[in-house]
Parts: sequence; C-alpha cells; structure tokens
Amino acid sequence: MKKITFSIGGVHPNDCKLAADRPIEVLPIPETLYVSMAQHLGAPAKPVVSVGDKVKTGQVIAEPGGFISAFVHSPASGTVKSIAPRADLAGRMVPHIEIAVEGDEWAEGIDTSDALIAEIPEDRAMMLERIKNCGVVGLGGATFPTHVKLNPAPGSPAAEALLINGAECEPFLTSDYRLMLESPKPILIGASIMQKILGGPKCYICIEDNKPQAIKVMGEALEELGFSNMVVQPLLKKYPQGGEKQLIQAVMRREVGSGALPISVGAVVQNVSTAFAVYEAVQKNKPLITNVLTVTGDCLPVEKQHNYRFRIGMPLSYIASYAGGIPTEAAKIVSGGPMMGRAIANIEAAAVKGSSSLLYLKESTTRRWTESACIRCGRCSEACPMGLEPFLLNRLYKGGLTDELEKNAVQDCIECGCCLYSCPAGIPLLDNVRQAKLQVMGIIRARAAAAKAAAGQANK
Amino acid sequence: MNSTLILTIVILAGLGLILALLLYFVAQKFKVEEDPRVGKVEECLPGANCGGCGFAGCHDFAVTSCAAPDLSRHYCPVGGDPVMQQVAAILGYKVEAKAPQVAVVRCNGTCTARPRTNTYQGVQSCKAKAWLYAGDTACQFGCLGCGDCVAACKFGALSMDPQTGLPVVDQEKCTACGACTGACPKNLIELRAKGPRGMRMVVVCRNQDKGPVAKKACANACIGCGLCVKTCTHDAIVLENNLAYIDFTKCKLCRECEAVCPAGSIIGVNFPKPLDKEAVKARIAARKAAAAAVKEESK
Repeated sequence: MKKITFSIGGVHPNDCKLAADRPIEVLPIPETLYVSMAQHLGAPAKPVVSVGDKVKTGQVIAEPGGFISAFVHSPASGTVKSIAPRADLAGRMVPHIEIAVEGDEWAEGIDTSDALIAEIPEDRAMMLERIKNCGVVGLGGATFPTHVKLNPAPGSPAAEALLINGAECEPFLTSDYRLMLESPKPILIGASIMQKILGGPKCYICIEDNKPQAIKVMGEALEELGFSNMVVQPLLKKYPQGGEKQLIQAVMRREVGSGALPISVGAVVQNVSTAFAVYEAVQKNKPLITNVLTVTGDCLPVEKQHNYRFRIGMPLSYIASYAGGIPTEAAKIVSGGPMMGRAIANIEAAAVKGSSSLLYLKESTTRRWTESACIRCGRCSEACPMGLEPFLLNRLYKGGLTDELEKNAVQDCIECGCCLYSCPAGIPLLDNVRQAKLQVMGIIRARAAAAKAAAGQANK
Repeated sequence: MNSTLILTIVILAGLGLILALLLYFVAQKFKVEEDPRVGKVEECLPGANCGGCGFAGCHDFAVTSCAAPDLSRHYCPVGGDPVMQQVAAILGYKVEAKAPQVAVVRCNGTCTARPRTNTYQGVQSCKAKAWLYAGDTACQFGCLGCGDCVAACKFGALSMDPQTGLPVVDQEKCTACGACTGACPKNLIELRAKGPRGMRMVVVCRNQDKGPVAKKACANACIGCGLCVKTCTHDAIVLENNLAYIDFTKCKLCRECEAVCPAGSIIGVNFPKPLDKEAVKARIAARKAAAAAVKEESK
C-alpha cells in the first residue's frame, strides 16, 4: 500500500528507538502502591474505599467524579493504608490511595487467562458499559475517557473511519511498537470492537514506516483473523504524525476545523494501547491497571534499556531502581517522549495509566540555547503542522495583543514543539505560544460562559 | 513674473480659506459632546494608566466616574484619598476615606530555608513555570522567583533580592495598584492596610500542606499548629487548611503571635523596637495564670 503522511509542516527528529528490540517484561509488584485519583483528563475520581479496607486486584477503588472522568481499580490485592494527598510528577499534591500489597488475588468475574477470545459480542451498550466500568482511557497521551469518545454526542456526524494510532512518532518511545509485535491479535480485536460500537466505519491501523516489523506482524495477524473492513496503513515517518488532527489529515485528507472535534469530519482516533485495553475490558472484563512503559535514554547502554508492563501506582523510583538505577550522566528525566514529554520533578511520583516512559537525557541533549534575535527565516512557520506562524504569535504574546492572537488562531496550537525544534535562534517559541494559548483559551471560555449565562437569563 | 507670484499667493490663500471653512463646518456637524468634567477629573489622576482601579486607564476611570451615580465603584489606589477627594469635589459626590494599603509578599522561602529539589531550565517567567509544575523546591505554594511581579510593577516598587530569591516591596514607592497581585500565579502578593506608622503583622507563608510536609519543604513554613490562634486575644487570626491568616482589620499589633510562633512564619514589620520574645511570653503566661485563678475562684 502507498505510504502517506500529512501535508503541512512537521519535522524529522532522529527516531532513536533504542529499546525497540527489548521484549516486554512484567514488573514484580512492590510492597506499597500509590494510586492517583487524577489519572485521566477531566474531574478527579472519588475514592469509594476507606482506610483499612481489604481490596482485591481489579476491584473498583474510586468512581468517576463527573461526566468526563473514569473508574480507578486496585492494581493489587492488599489493604488500604491511607487516602491522602501525595506529590505527582510535577510536584503538585493529588489525592492518592495507598495500598499495602499482600498478594495478587484478582477480584471475581475477571478472566486472567492468556486465551485469545476472538468472538465479538453483539450488544453495543454492554460493550460500552464494560469499557466504562473498566476505567479505559486514551493511552496515547491525553488520557481522555474512552467511553465518552466512543459514544459521540447525539447529532454529531456518523463515524466514517476509525484510525488506530500506532504511529508512535515521538523519538525513543517503543512501548506501542513492542505491544504491536507481541500482542497484534488483541489489538486488532480491540479495534474491531470499537468499530462495532461506532457502527462499522472503515478501520485503518496506522503505523509509521520506521517500524517495518510491526507493519508486517500486524498485516499477518489481520489476515489470520480475517477482518474485512480493516487495513494496515503504512505512513511515511514524520513528527507529529501521532497527533490526532495530523493522522486524520494523513489518512483521510480531511482537515478538522478550528475548535472542532475529529468526529465533525467523521473520524475517531484511538491508540493501539487503548485498543489493547478495550480488548481486555470487553473480552476479559479486565480493568485498566497495567500499561507498557519504556525505560530508555541517550545515556543508557542498550542492554540497560527495557520495556516493562507495570501496574498503576508503582513509584517511578521503584521502576528506575529495578531497571538498574538512574544513570549518573542523566541531566533530565522525562515522562513521555523528548518532544512533548514533561520533565519529572518528583521521581517518587507514582506511575499512572498514561505513563509511557522513563527517559534519561544527557546534559548536551537537554541544554537550552541562548536566545538571540528572530531573523524571520520562517522555519517555524514551515515546521508548524497546524499552519500557524509561531514567530508572529511569539511577538503578539510579548505585546499582550490577545485579540490578534485569537485572530491568528493561537488556540489551535497542539504544543508539538516543532517550532522550537526548528528555530535556529533558540527562541523559546513553544513556551511563549503555550502561555498565549492558555490566555486566549481562558478568554474564549469566559466568553462562552457569559453567553450561556445570558441565554439562560433570556430563557427566563 | 510679478503677476505669477501674486496669482500663486491668491490661489493658495483662497484654497486655505475654503478648506478652513469646510473643516469648521465638518467639525461643527460631527462634534462629540464630552462631559466637561471628564477632562478636569483626568487632570487630577496620576496618569500612570496602571489599571489598578479596574478600569482601562485613567481616561476610562474619568469617563465612567462622571457617568456613575456615585463613587462606590471608583477608587484610585495610586492617588489614594487626596486624589479621590479632588475627584469627589469636581463631581459633587462624597467619598469615604480608605486606609492606605501596601503590597505584601507572603512567602519567606529564602534560598537557605527552602532547598532546591530540581533545576528549572525553561523560560524565566513565573506563569510558564507554574503551568509546568509545582516549582523547583518541595513547596508547591511558594515563590517561583522569576520576577513576574517585578515586571508587572509600573512604579518600580518591586525588586528581586538576589540573596533570598524573593521579591522585595519598596514601601515608599508602592501605590497598592494591585498589578503584582494579579501577576503572581501563586497568589502570594496581597494588598494589606499599611497600618499605623507602617506597622503590621503578616503570616509570610502560603503553604497549606500538613506540618511535617511543609516543614520538610521549607524551614520558614507555617506548620498550622494553631498556637497563634489560641494566643490571640483579638480573634484576628484564623487557621484554615493548615495555614494561619491574620485579619488586618482586627489585629491590634500586640505581637504575641509573633512571640509564640515556633516556625517563625509570623513577622512584624516596621516596629520601632525589636521583639522581646521572653517579655511577651511572660506577659502571656501571667495572663493565662490570672485567667486560671479566676476560674478556680468561680468554682
């Protein structure tokens, strides 16, 4: 099949997939787990257990705190030791449930066998309910609750395509790649389940061409399973291909409008890990308590790099020490990829559903350039995959011109970092554009709230 | 040659006259009626356009104050009472005198008291830093030290102290316009009454973590022990979310809270004499003993 990619902007960082040949290992469970209540986008979950309660693996320990929220399950069996605020990755205090681990005894009704169940149930409502009850969230990075995304608001257009995102365009990360190699069939069955829920749109398994092995394995698995309305779509390597809007543009040649959701052009995008989680939820009633994480970096020898299947709530420091400790050359530890990931301020923080990596970077890779004057070379505008002009947005932000910023669509920025990556003058474009975006989003939200209040008054 | 010169002068003069008349009539036709008091009010105002009053600059303040039925929504924090009296005289309104205020930084997490747990490399802006994470120390409530407040101050009243890494308010220059309070993403700066001869008591901490956590993060942190609340005889201190707060409208400047605070996070400013802790503690003990004696007697 012809390789395709998105048409505007993008950059080509060295992909550094150093841990690509390391199979997924299962991490042993430590003595204590700290389960965060804010593992998903939206309202934090509300604990439903109290201190001293005995919990089993997979038992619900927190329920959704709002419409956009998700269930949280116990990652091991043991006793609830405390429910208290604890610092997360960024050092912010978030409520955590501390569990003293006593074993790994699963709750009833969960199928823990390795048997592959290929038969897909017919009942759409039941499948959605299971996805919701198993706390499945988007594992591509945004951790948006999956059941909300798979159940578009009434009145929105019908889904025409389901894109399974296996692009993994961020350098260094290999967790999705390993998952595709090791569990291709569960991913495809998960995709097929989502297809059924959405009313049978065509499904594309999108994989970048720097992972030929994954393309081959997924293609073979697809042939064996014999799903007809599903294809493996190879993509040309380009960052940020894994961005929702970029992937839709690449595969469907449709552009998602400013401020609109992908469903407005008939597209739904789900990550391969999410597809795997959906498979486990629907076919085995297994809640989302594990995910794959890559321990990698440019200051680690290949034999020290790992792909781990972790349980949520494991402290990152535990994972780091299990993997052989933090290398002394590491100047920065990042959670996520080097382009969009966040530096970890607190290594004691617990792993969450969306954790994808522990990335150790050398001082020379993370060093910030000294800022010099903009020479109007236009590289940032060329690199921007959303077609924005970062140099202009930067200037408007410094001048405090919020109206102009809004006219120049700063709110469409996806914060991929291509502008910063391509700037030869070392201008912190992304930092400033992000602040501008926050400002403008605040204004837009305030305006929407005011309009809503005015409409409410008029109705009275 | 002579006639050419005269002709030119006549034509130019005529042209000028015609255009002048045209402009005069246009100006008459499209004249904008403005309240004559607006100009007068604007003249009294400081003209810094700081926005401290909540209006978009001094002109907007003047226009809206002339249109308003009273001056309850208008107060120029920079000019203070003298300016407001002038404005009230022009508009024929009455204003009540307000106590002069000053910006107060509620963080004492100096470089020595608050060890750094990580290094920040991004843009030197508190706003960007606060968005990214809790800060480069274990205290998620404290000053980030990038100086957004200094940049926001239009009167040069704020500066960063390189020794402590905290902003310092110049009390003479501070006009209490409130620009810094909005600029601080951690809400550390508060406008407080200047107090008699500038004397005031402040809890210089915003840490809402529990005692041990707060203490581990910063040696100067309020640990929420509540000793100050128990000691205060004026009901001026409230303890909320593990943090003491002094209500400056009730505080009588007795300095007892400062003497009993084990964390040293209550500080008295501009007092003529340094605090004699032992004397104040003895006073509190004597009062307590007397109260206990009264209780005994009533039994």
